[in-house]
Amino acid sequence: MAGHEEADNAEAIITRIEHKSRKIESLLKQYKPVEALKTALEGSPPKTRDERCKSANWIVVHRAIMAIKDVDGMFSSLDPEYYDILMKYLYRGLSTGDRPTCDQCLRIHEKLTERAGLGCILRSLADTVNTV
Amino acid sequence: MLLLFSTSDLIHCSAAPLINNFTLFCLIAFCPNNNEVHIYRLLEEKWERIHILQKHDQIVSGIDWSVRSNRIVTVSHDRNSYVWNQEAAEWVPTLVILRLNRAALCVRWSPRENKFAVGSGAKTVCICYYEQENNWWVSKLIRKRHDSSVTSVAWHPNNILLATTSTDGKCRVFSTFIKGVDTRDSGTGPGSDSKFGEQIVQLDLSFCWAFGVKWSPSGSTLAYVGHNSMIYFVDEVGPSPSAQNVAFRDLPLRDVLFVSERMVIGVGFDCNPMVFAADERGLWSFIRFLGQRKTSSSSVKYGSQFSEAFGKLYGQSKHGISNDTVEPSRPCGGIHENCINCIVPLKKTGDSRMTSFSTSGLDGKVVIWDLENQEDLLEYL
Repeated sequence: MAGHEEADNAEAIITRIEHKSRKIESLLKQYKPVEALKTALEGSPPKTRDERCKSANWIVVHRAIMAIKDVDGMFSSLDPEYYDILMKYLYRGLSTGDRPTCDQCLRIHEKLTERAGLGCILRSLADTVNTV
Repeated sequence: MLLLFSTSDLIHCSAAPLINNFTLFCLIAFCPNNNEVHIYRLLEEKWERIHILQKHDQIVSGIDWSVRSNRIVTVSHDRNSYVWNQEAAEWVPTLVILRLNRAALCVRWSPRENKFAVGSGAKTVCICYYEQENNWWVSKLIRKRHDSSVTSVAWHPNNILLATTSTDGKCRVFSTFIKGVDTRDSGTGPGSDSKFGEQIVQLDLSFCWAFGVKWSPSGSTLAYVGHNSMIYFVDEVGPSPSAQNVAFRDLPLRDVLFVSERMVIGVGFDCNPMVFAADERGLWSFIRFLGQRKTSSSSVKYGSQFSEAFGKLYGQSKHGISNDTVEPSRPCGGIHENCINCIVPLKKTGDSRMTSFSTSGLDGKVVIWDLENQEDLLEYL
């Protein structure tokens, strides 16, 4: 029964992510990459163990991260509450080994560390329960 | 502001200094990362080794010195504990069999000094008390409550409640009521009528290792730290606790100390004590580093502050040493050059406020800090 509920829950999360994805595409069309990134990071499903949900959300976040051109400009309008979750996704990006993704993640990582400090890195690495 | 004591080989250290304001009589006990405990005395501006406590077979992992009864308890990786009593000029050990199958990691005397708690790698906590009729220290275990090693223990001022942190990320509060040792009226508040080993509350705030737990002087607030650069403050410890999580931008902490109800000093991997304080609404936040991180332009200023403190405590002869400690090239910018893993309050006779404490770290240094001339922090004392 518990497994069944988990599956239902996962379906609901996937639907939400699909909805989010459409919203992000429209935000990107309006040249609002930071809004798109915020939307992607909001409601990220770290608590679920379902890898499908995590992957689906990563695709959405990845789309938003790659659309960021002006990293300094992004940080001037990104609130600190997003820093920890963004750091987790940057490490997920770095783990893909994909050249353009890693380039972009490293560029953002440098600026994010300047702003959020080493504590932010520690929080993303030390938390082995709420992975993205 | 601070004074420096350094030995070349001291790595792990637990200090329990006693300072008497009038005579500047200061004792300090530490373990130089081996099976011995060294006791030093400050006499005429010089540190002098007066005792070596040698009984353990392996590294001593915890030391605590009870102030009123003048007893030292030590625990070690050899899974045993000794209570040391001073008889004439000698420290005489009494073996306490903890009944552990893993190393003991930390030890604390209870506020009334009639019990002590030992955290261990065996996922258990030992509560030890003295049995008069048998002339023997008995160890009672709290088993099957922790999922991993117990890294730190802290006594509530009521002598009954014990808080523990563990590498399973949880902070737990237990009752340690022992018939014949404690009386029912000795405690008030949550858990005062509970049995030995009963878990009062389990706090699941951290998702990684938890270290360093302490109660505030009144016992109304609990603080502990996680390895994720977070510090947690918990009020109303009981059935419905309220918690505040404070994330900070620097490296994680290892130990904390309540200086007052409203101020906490945290020490850890950043090599520099951090000050946290609560505002009027009770909201905790990071205030600043205690030994300011300096830029080269400000080093002169701090140098003079250090000298001033030294002059006050030890006469002007120590100027040279104090200036050595503020070279701008130091990587961490503070007095300690490596992780600080221990912070102990200094008990001055006849002073109700706690204004000084000592820290020790993996760099082999013991540093004494005084808050008296940190004017911006005095409002929190």
